[in-house]
Amino acid sequence: MSDSTPAISIRGVTKRFGDVTAVDDLTLDIREGEFLTLLGPSGCGKTTTMRMVAGFEEPDEGDILLRGDDVVGVPPNKRHVNMCFQNYALFPHMDVQQNIEYGLKLKKVPKEERATQVSEMLAIVRLEGYEHRRPGQLSGGQQQRVALARALVNEPAALLLDEPLGALDVKLRKQMQLELKRIQHELKTTFVYVTHDQEEALSMSDRIAVMNAGVIEHLGSPRDVYERPATPFVADFVGVLNAAELTVSSIENGRALMTVNDRDRVIAPAEGLDLTAGANVLAAVRPERIDIAKGQVDAGEGSRLSGTVAQIVYLGTLMQFHIDTAVDRRFIVHQLSSDASEAIDEGDEVTLTWPVEDTSILRVGA
Amino acid sequence: MNPAISNGGRRSLWVLFWLLVVFLYAPIVILIVFSFNDSEIVSFPWLGFTTRWYHEFIAEPTILSALWTSVKVASMTALVATALAIPASIALVRRRFFGKGLVSGLLLAPLVIPLVVLGISLLILFNFVGVPLSPYTAAIGHVVIAMPFAILTMVPRLERIPAALEEASRDLGASSMTTFRLITFPLLVPALISAFLISFTISFDELVIASFVAGKQATFPVYLYSQLRLPERLPLVIAVAVVVLVISVIVVVISEVGRFLSERRLEAQTGVAAEEFGSMRTGKG
Repeated sequence: MSDSTPAISIRGVTKRFGDVTAVDDLTLDIREGEFLTLLGPSGCGKTTTMRMVAGFEEPDEGDILLRGDDVVGVPPNKRHVNMCFQNYALFPHMDVQQNIEYGLKLKKVPKEERATQVSEMLAIVRLEGYEHRRPGQLSGGQQQRVALARALVNEPAALLLDEPLGALDVKLRKQMQLELKRIQHELKTTFVYVTHDQEEALSMSDRIAVMNAGVIEHLGSPRDVYERPATPFVADFVGVLNAAELTVSSIENGRALMTVNDRDRVIAPAEGLDLTAGANVLAAVRPERIDIAKGQVDAGEGSRLSGTVAQIVYLGTLMQFHIDTAVDRRFIVHQLSSDASEAIDEGDEVTLTWPVEDTSILRVGA
Repeated sequence: MNPAISNGGRRSLWVLFWLLVVFLYAPIVILIVFSFNDSEIVSFPWLGFTTRWYHEFIAEPTILSALWTSVKVASMTALVATALAIPASIALVRRRFFGKGLVSGLLLAPLVIPLVVLGISLLILFNFVGVPLSPYTAAIGHVVIAMPFAILTMVPRLERIPAALEEASRDLGASSMTTFRLITFPLLVPALISAFLISFTISFDELVIASFVAGKQATFPVYLYSQLRLPERLPLVIAVAVVVLVISVIVVVISEVGRFLSERRLEAQTGVAAEEFGSMRTGKG
């Protein structure tokens, strides 16, 4: 896999709209057959990037290669990628069959073959028997499936999906996430998925490119992005994050010790970081990695912070504790409701503890 | 009910409304009534019901030939104005270009230019270029005044067709021309029909420009106007006017009802898409 040509190769691409740089010198290789998500807030350049791959926008600088061929300047109808639009963009004056076979018809595929391929696609998206419905007679989820079928029937080098689940309700969205993953697995098509929903990105992607202000801040597996975010922005965007500015007291055995007071301390792995005693760092820990206990508890090897419970929020499967800590920051701690049996009340003194490897150093220096 | 308006206020509004309706439609009603009056003098007293004027009208070859000229001019006008309005509205709705405000102003300007001015300018132009006056020159003049209406009929429809449909078509391998043929045009058809009928009506009713540039072959309104010089022809002219009025109203009603129905169908078909598109345009999205 590593030496084969990427499905899509974006090289040093910049796109400006007036004075606004939407995409800034972006480089990204998307592998054949992978599910890659461009994740970021609105205005981060993720949709512009996708539209440049599809051919609806042209980059001001840089190259875009589809399976090794430079496609800059090639109109969208001549590019071998297909797109799923945000609101499906199904043709209202055509039925499902006509919508799906649109691309094939333009390629002059004979009628019988078109019909076979359409029914194969309908089987894959599980809409058998809907050939002669009009888009207006379908639910949102069904329209979504037709849009998928219409794009996939052309066997594109890559399928580009622009927030395709945005218009669906939560339950349907979860269901379609699984469906999309299944379809991608079945067809082994390269999927490039644009979303601002971190949960969607984490649950579906092989790799996630977290974008901010026109650049990729972190490219990695969902686990990597979530557990070892490369920048404070990534950490904050991909999940709730407890972060604090601390000063390194000492480095020992590849671990950085940040003493808070005579009881409390944060310990983080320091390998690969240019750290010395006295350095200011931004250290972070995920809410679900933290253990919470009433009173003063020994932390063993790991980090430990004492604090006061400010608020407890019941979230169904989770209990969320808001703790005012010794580092002057409010920390959020998640515990499974079934585990959080110990009676902790608002106003209680508690101790937070977590293992060394769950602390990440997000930034060195002020 | 608007609580800000008192009962008395509401009553005077109601009276005002009906006064306005009477003011607008009384002349038309009187026209229809007198077209059936058995008298050569168009005034009260009512001398009895007759359809004589309608019979005379049908028996008159010059009227029929003027009618035929008008139908030809109106058809040409409607065809050309609608055809030209398609690219114009697409440019106004879909494209971004320098001087768009100016261009749309220029396209819609004939709405506010006095017809007499337009008529004289066209006459001078045709003389200068050396084009003989004919129903064709009348049609050219009518295209100028009908096109703004054709554009204004098409623009709202085009605005309700999501641009993403055209992008999707391009994405699936269609060129711009194919996309227009397979996607934009079919969705635009109801508006095209409306634009055609409205342009037809405008041309068919138009007197001023036609009297300047239609040449010897009078259009129907020009012929009617010339007949007003002869008092004994007045009742006949009234009967003809009623016929034209009824036909015009029918055409406009058909076009508006058709547009309303297809608009609703497009809304039902594109559902969320059209709605979101609309809110994006008004800046809510």
